[in-house]
Amino acid sequence: MITIQSVSKAFRPSGGGPPNQVLEGVSLHVPASCLYGLIGPGASGKSVLLKMIVGLMKPDSGSITVDGVDVTQASELDLQKMRLKFGMLFQNNALFDHMTVGDNIAFPLRRLTDLGEDQIKDRVMERLAHVALTGFEGRLPAGLSGGQKKRVGVARATITRAPIVLYDEPAAGLDPVTSQKIFELLREEQRASGATVVMVSSDLDRLLTVTDRVGMMYRGRLIFDGTTHEAQTSEEPRVRQFVHGLTEGPL
Amino acid sequence: MIRVYSSPLATMAAQTTTPEKAAAPGALTTFLAALGGGFLSAAHTAGGMTILLVKILARLARLRLDGRELWKNLYKMAVKSLPIVVVTALFTGAIMVIQAATIVKRYGAEGLLGWGAGFGTLREIAPLLTALMISGRVGANNTAELGTMVVTEQLDALRVLAIDPIGFLIAPRFVAIVSTLFMMTLFADALALFGAAYTGQALLGVSPTTFFNGLTAGLLDFGDVANGLFKSFVFGLVMALASCHFGLATTGGAPGVGRAVNSTVVTSAAGIFVLDYLVSFAIGG
Ligand SMILES: Nc1ncnc2c1ncn2[C@@H]1O[C@H](COP(=O)(O)OP(=O)(O)OP(=O)(O)O)[C@@H](O)[C@H]1O
Ligand SMILES: [Mg+2]
Repeated sequence: MITIQSVSKAFRPSGGGPPNQVLEGVSLHVPASCLYGLIGPGASGKSVLLKMIVGLMKPDSGSITVDGVDVTQASELDLQKMRLKFGMLFQNNALFDHMTVGDNIAFPLRRLTDLGEDQIKDRVMERLAHVALTGFEGRLPAGLSGGQKKRVGVARATITRAPIVLYDEPAAGLDPVTSQKIFELLREEQRASGATVVMVSSDLDRLLTVTDRVGMMYRGRLIFDGTTHEAQTSEEPRVRQFVHGLTEGPL
Repeated sequence: MIRVYSSPLATMAAQTTTPEKAAAPGALTTFLAALGGGFLSAAHTAGGMTILLVKILARLARLRLDGRELWKNLYKMAVKSLPIVVVTALFTGAIMVIQAATIVKRYGAEGLLGWGAGFGTLREIAPLLTALMISGRVGANNTAELGTMVVTEQLDALRVLAIDPIGFLIAPRFVAIVSTLFMMTLFADALALFGAAYTGQALLGVSPTTFFNGLTAGLLDFGDVANGLFKSFVFGLVMALASCHFGLATTGGAPGVGRAVNSTVVTSAAGIFVLDYLVSFAIGG
């Protein structure tokens, strides 16, 4: 489980100028085995918050604990140990561009487990089939479409069956049918494994069909945190407008 | 009909560019500020490279270095550099002979041709030119690769997989660059002498035997070769550190990668010349 307490972060532009306050007093609790959806308009700090949870960025103040370990204070070595629990999909996928699709997906298993090559190959094939990319294992990421890259990213993030998984836009660039399939796949696997999942997505209609809880970010602040049903029926004007995709409203 | 409209992006760009300072400060102040700024950024780079060196050495001491990455990089850096090293070295040797030709002809000092061409080549020219060539090919390429990995978050992806990027990516590349330059210098030494010997024969009619006798008659010894190789080791260190440092420090997307490569090439070349001077001074040539 993940507990975020009054986290703030400002980026200082390299050329000088006023700091960009990206997160401001964000507090948030993701219970164990919960599928948590994080929503909000562009540049509201969702990706930055995900990176802070795995310790890739440090907040200016506040604390983030994952299973009792404060990642903002942990040493690089402790962070490495803690990250064994994580799977992560980056918004831009971050595929290793000198490796084939198959090697990209197999990489976490090769590095983090003692599985033999045969078992690894089976797992990779199974993952590829799940994201409808059977036969693509020999291709290089540079030769894939945006949606295909995204699906390779999803396959890589899920292959170790990590107990905590962070997805940044798992369905961006996918057609509605594939998108729905991916959401359902991730939900099924989360249910089966009991993993704790944080999912950022702009595809609210589909995201809200799979989440347990939802948080909404707006200009660096968490303006809503509640169950999916509460989000859908919220009377908070910004939440209401965002969740229902209305053009009239405060946003 | 053409519609003129102001795009939101253009408006944003206009807003973010800082307006020109109205009152220009005095020329001297500007000059001093630029000088001070230059020193600061040089100190910053040197500091960053030193910290990186300490981190790399810590990984090497604990043998936390990925063997497969090392071999992959050695192949990519050393084997693939052979063609340009061959061309550079052969022509360097030939040029040294052409330079010596007038003196050799005037005094009939055929026996000294080997020494004349070999002395400067082994101690100075071969290590220096090889370093500059390898810096342009291997150092620049390495920065571009690392920089791209940084801006596309591949380094972050490694971190999330509990992999230490210094041990996994940087240490093998560092070792590969230093050893590539060392091996290529050794190779260039041999090729340059070969090129010199055959140019001597073609141009001056000095037989290769006479050339190599002049080379080994006692005026040159292993110390001269070792001198050049020591320099190549030092050049390799500075080049590898600059290359990895600027690659890791890349920010700002694809243009940032271009800037990082630029910094690597400039810093490596400047570092190589300065260290060449210092090492030559310290070990007497
Ligand atoms: N490495 C960085 N350096 C400086 N500023 C950054 C950095 N990363 C993010 N930001 C800034 O932080 C703010 C929030 O970015 P973030 O990527 O978290 O947005 P987001 O909510 O994920 O948006 P989107 O839905 O568009 O992905 C933005 O204003 C962005 O410019
Ligand atoms: Mg984002």
